[in-house]
Amino acid sequence: MKNILLTGCSRGVGLSIAKSLIASGYNVYGVSRKITPEYEQLMNENENQVFYKSFDLADPDSVQEQLFKNYITNSVPLHGFINNAAIAYDDIITNLNLDRLRNMYEVNVFSPYNITKYAIRNMIYNRVKGSIVHVSSISVHTGYKGLAMYAGSKGALEAFSKNTAREWGERGVRSNCLVAGFMDTDMSATLGDDMKDRIFKRTSLKVPTALESVADMITFLISEEAKSITGQNIHVDSGTI
Amino acid sequence: MNSAILESINEVKEGKGDEAITSVSNTTHLRDDLGLDSFDLAELTVRIEEKTGVDIFENGVVETIGEIAKQIDG
Repeated sequence: MKNILLTGCSRGVGLSIAKSLIASGYNVYGVSRKITPEYEQLMNENENQVFYKSFDLADPDSVQEQLFKNYITNSVPLHGFINNAAIAYDDIITNLNLDRLRNMYEVNVFSPYNITKYAIRNMIYNRVKGSIVHVSSISVHTGYKGLAMYAGSKGALEAFSKNTAREWGERGVRSNCLVAGFMDTDMSATLGDDMKDRIFKRTSLKVPTALESVADMITFLISEEAKSITGQNIHVDSGTI
Repeated sequence: MNSAILESINEVKEGKGDEAITSVSNTTHLRDDLGLDSFDLAELTVRIEEKTGVDIFENGVVETIGEIAKQIDG
């Protein structure tokens, strides 16, 4: 059984990713701030396949201790890391608040970078050709009012992923970004209906991006079938062109 | 000499298909004498950390066996 570390596992697209991974036979090592009844149910229905650790990614200094010494030690070979957890700080640039910006970067950028460090260390210790997937956002590629700061944090992940792919490719480690379009989740709940409608109308399909479509593509990128895919940004965004 | 160092070096060498070495000294250079590249050193770091709990690269670059021993002995 292959072991996958998934952040932001307990709701939204993370929960869909967990379900997709379970259906494909992976062991899921979930991480989130708070467990939800839905994730608890997944654990109960899939004993010894679905695990959980409560951890706040706003604390990147504790990544090694909490996630790799107390949860996924080197005795658990890590085959994949899915960086899904994120927070959205949306506001126009002239209102930028540095404390809120720093907090978003701790969660969206610094913790994922640090988790990648220890995930790759686990992979090379166990001589595993692991796969890393970062969940990015269409806002990196298409501008939206109020999302400059959030999009900046996701753009940092895309650059990090491409360079991870180049750096660790010769050890068989792959890294890709799933560029998700706007989904109807708690994270976009702060956007007004008008704004959401305008966003969805900009897509080819005129509908929100389906969570299952994002989740199943991530499961594919983690899998052996995607062994020649690395350093890429894969758009699953209802055709935002 | 900490046996964890020699064991870890030989685990890395085994992974590369290289022959095991039987001894090292404090002046043995990791790159020039043992032929380890940066990826090998990354693997060596995690193997030594697993055995000793010490991340030998945490405080900067190490180049010789003696420098590794110094990190482990604190």
